[in-house]
Amino acid sequence: MKPQEKDLLFPAHWRRNIWNAMIYALLIAGSLMFLLPLFWAFTSSFKPDYQIFKIPPQWIPNPIRWQNYSEAWTYVPFGRFMLNTLIIAAGAITGNLLSCTIIAYGFARLRAPGKNALFILMLSTMMLVEPVRIIPMYIEFKTLGWIDTFLPMIVPAFFGSPFYIFLLRQFFMNIPKDLSDAALIDGASHLQILWRIILPISKPALAAVAIFNFQGVWNDFLYPLVFLHRHTNFTIALGLNFFRSSYSIQWGNLMAASMMALLPMVVVFFFAQRYFIEGISFSGIKG
Amino acid sequence: MNSLRRFWSIGLLVVLVTGLLAACAPATPQVVEKTVEVEKVVEKVVEKVVTPTPAPPAEGAKMVIRVGTGDSGEGLNPHQEIIANFEKENPDILVQLEAVAGSDYYARLLTQIAAGDAPDIMQIGDDAVPMFVSKGAFLPLDDFIKGADPLDLNIYLPNTLKPGMYQGKQYFLPKDFSTMAVYYNKKIFDKYNVPYPKDGWTWDDFLKTAQQLTIDENKDGTPEIWGVQLMANWNGYEYFTASTGAKLISEDGKKIVGYMDSPETIKAVQFYVDLYNKYKVAPPPADFNQWAGGNPEFANGTAAMRLFGRWPQSGLLKNPNVDLGVVSVPVGDKKANIMFWGGFGIFSGTKHPEAAWRFLKYYVGEGGSKVWIKHGIPPVASVVKEAGMDQDPIEGVWIKALEDVVDRAYVSSDYWGETGAPAFGKALEKLLIDPTADVATVLKEAAAEAQAALDEKLGQ
Amino acid sequence: MTAITQRFSPLRFRWSLQKREALAFYLCILPWFIGFLLFYLGPILASFYFSLTKWDLLNPPQFVGLENYERIFTRDKYFLQAVKVTTIYTFSYVPLDLILGLLIALLVNQRVRGVGVFRTIFYMPSVLAGVAYVVMWMWVFNPQAGLINGILAYFGIQGPRWLLDPKWALPALIIMSLWGVGRSMVIYLAGLQDIPRELYESASIDGANTWHRFWNITLPLLTPSILFNLIFSIILTFQSFTNVYIATNGGPLDATLFYVLYLYRKAFDHLAMGYASALAWILFLIVLVCTLIIFATSGKWVFYRGVEE
Repeated sequence: MKPQEKDLLFPAHWRRNIWNAMIYALLIAGSLMFLLPLFWAFTSSFKPDYQIFKIPPQWIPNPIRWQNYSEAWTYVPFGRFMLNTLIIAAGAITGNLLSCTIIAYGFARLRAPGKNALFILMLSTMMLVEPVRIIPMYIEFKTLGWIDTFLPMIVPAFFGSPFYIFLLRQFFMNIPKDLSDAALIDGASHLQILWRIILPISKPALAAVAIFNFQGVWNDFLYPLVFLHRHTNFTIALGLNFFRSSYSIQWGNLMAASMMALLPMVVVFFFAQRYFIEGISFSGIKG
Repeated sequence: MNSLRRFWSIGLLVVLVTGLLAACAPATPQVVEKTVEVEKVVEKVVEKVVTPTPAPPAEGAKMVIRVGTGDSGEGLNPHQEIIANFEKENPDILVQLEAVAGSDYYARLLTQIAAGDAPDIMQIGDDAVPMFVSKGAFLPLDDFIKGADPLDLNIYLPNTLKPGMYQGKQYFLPKDFSTMAVYYNKKIFDKYNVPYPKDGWTWDDFLKTAQQLTIDENKDGTPEIWGVQLMANWNGYEYFTASTGAKLISEDGKKIVGYMDSPETIKAVQFYVDLYNKYKVAPPPADFNQWAGGNPEFANGTAAMRLFGRWPQSGLLKNPNVDLGVVSVPVGDKKANIMFWGGFGIFSGTKHPEAAWRFLKYYVGEGGSKVWIKHGIPPVASVVKEAGMDQDPIEGVWIKALEDVVDRAYVSSDYWGETGAPAFGKALEKLLIDPTADVATVLKEAAAEAQAALDEKLGQ
Repeated sequence: MTAITQRFSPLRFRWSLQKREALAFYLCILPWFIGFLLFYLGPILASFYFSLTKWDLLNPPQFVGLENYERIFTRDKYFLQAVKVTTIYTFSYVPLDLILGLLIALLVNQRVRGVGVFRTIFYMPSVLAGVAYVVMWMWVFNPQAGLINGILAYFGIQGPRWLLDPKWALPALIIMSLWGVGRSMVIYLAGLQDIPRELYESASIDGANTWHRFWNITLPLLTPSILFNLIFSIILTFQSFTNVYIATNGGPLDATLFYVLYLYRKAFDHLAMGYASALAWILFLIVLVCTLIIFATSGKWVFYRGVEE
């Protein structure tokens, strides 16, 4: 149909409403699919242990056992674990945002001999799995006296992490060259370009880094397992582990604790995703 | 330029603050290297020598003993209570508990040992004893036991010291143990008018009871009530093989063929598999991994019996679906049982052997047992008898079973865990997945595979 | 700056500009490089050395040369199984994750009210990790009482035994992992924000319909994000460990014997850290080769707006 015919038959606002309705339908259907397994975990967090694995499954807990939550909170120093994890996350995110932006800028927008080789080298550090690196790292951190502190999980962040460097590099490479060229001609230094031009329009990417870093720290298991000794220093991921012993698991408490552990992540994401707002227009520049 | 400078100064400030937080939040206590007057020289272990340096402890400085345990959550409370009591009586020692749950515990221990930074006292499960001791990670305790700060080994229940021994020497003292028994739900027995099982019952009695209590009222092919809940692919199967007099590996640890596929083994495995596939009295396994808690039927009140160890007992006692009774395991061709065990030992690289021994004695001796008894059966006979546990209709079953305990396969070979165990486990998996498979054939293949792996290990 | 321009001839000026750009580059990279020397180089070299030894963690390593590698390539059938399982898993999961992530990102990129809530819902599962998450899924896949077989039964289909069936365990794990598609969704979302609205508007005016707009504008401009997700997914998926460790521990009958699971077992259960290190280096090479191939061919399909062609 020609555009004009389309307009007569389906007025614009009708099309918009039908479109919106379709979108909502898909969103709701998808959400249900994604939430359903979680729903079982959520209801289980209020059930007494013997009801959780009932066949056929019992969807509504009866009685509702709020103690699962209060027990989980006091059984282990859960608040302490959360605080510990928050401290590590704050440190690591700060370090990564500071370092990875600069490093990614280099890889993305500067030319130099050996750049590609260095980039591959950086990526390849992600490819050697942790279990075989952990013992030399332990020895190294022991020599530094960092064992049983948060330092092994915070300090390396100030030197960049391959994942976030790679991510930011992809985004920085996608910003039109004309923008930075114009600034260069005006005599700006690279740091100024980074700070004044690149970063302000990279908010979605920076938000993504913050989200992923927070999530990574929140769920990190191996490093806290190996580098933290006293359980007052433990993080949430280790803390959740406390609800299982070698032969039995406290299901109700574990589910409750997992829900509590999930909450900060959800809050962080919900606020950070506002940075994923639509389009910054580059006036005067054709795509 | 101003904003840039501001950016960097804020950044620097954040770094400083974070650094301060990180450094302050978990303060590592200053470990003051001290040794206590030692009158006995500690024995050489492999190439490591622990030389005591006599030096008087300085005023007010505490020695720190680190204790590693795989217990978690509520299970830590007794540890902490015992530690508090010990520290009151021994003000010169500070005990630091390092707890990590489950299988990750070993990975962490190994990492720490490899880096030379292991806790002074560590908890080990019985099947890990050969692995750690043969590599020289623990001190033999015999000299301590007979030394200046002695321990009377007779205080322990029968057979509970054995898993802590290796090649005739005592390396670990027992902390807790579990034999196997049969839980039964009186509610179901009462409902269907079946008499409760009695001590001394046979495999035939066991099968009959299970069949009577497998009830499929609506005839849809799936019973509403199952006769007995078993466990899949877990070491508990050694109860069955022990009961037919079967051995999975030769005593000298060299031959698996001829043992894993012997007629006795075949008989035991056949009975076990038949319970699932032929008589259908056992619900199909919920997972082949002991991790996720396994089958829920008994806890749901839909299985009449459960063959397992003592660990879920406290939960079952509180479970309104179950009116719990415990009876000894049925007798096969011979009366036999197996035991699972945890104990504590002293790291061979410890810098405070004397203090560690002092704590160990207390921890798993009579002093500690008075606390452990609130959470389980401590292996110290006097404490158990005093509390009347051996006469208790439920706890007594676990204790009495100690008399019938036979060695598990791992005792015969340090390599069992890598060779025999996975092959046998897979054989059981195969038999449970494919009901048409022939037990003798599958076991023969498993034995051959395990033998090949074992030969390779021994040849190195 | 202008004073300097006047003093140099054009040719030497350009050369010096290039040099200065290179210098700026090396300065930018410096934090990473220092970190590399401090935290990565030592452990990487150490692990390579360990791969040439026999090491049981409790005693010092013994040098054995290439024996570990030789054993892996000639006599280790578990290695072959692990490679097979991990490869099938990776090359099934990654394309599904890429496509599904893109579809969901497009969906939640629409400007409807409350879309933030939906974005959070789709992202949430990828945040859960560890025991609770996997156990939840084991229950979903439970042959008798689980959600999936329950839904299938509603349609009259008898569901398989999933994690207990050697044929279905791997698909079950793939489904479990796909639920974590929120990670790629986030990357795509951030990438979608970068596409200027005017491009869409001018294309609409020119008569392009939704499909044209997607195929000619959205997709090409998303290629940097697609490349990132592709590479990162491959690196991550080859290293999958936690889920399978908890859900099946490699079973049943080694149907889900993931590479890193096998490695971990060798290191901490069998006390063969040297062998495990050799396995780690072989995996390293496999992943590196895959990554290099993807990068080498990426020039043909990836389009950056900030780079001159």
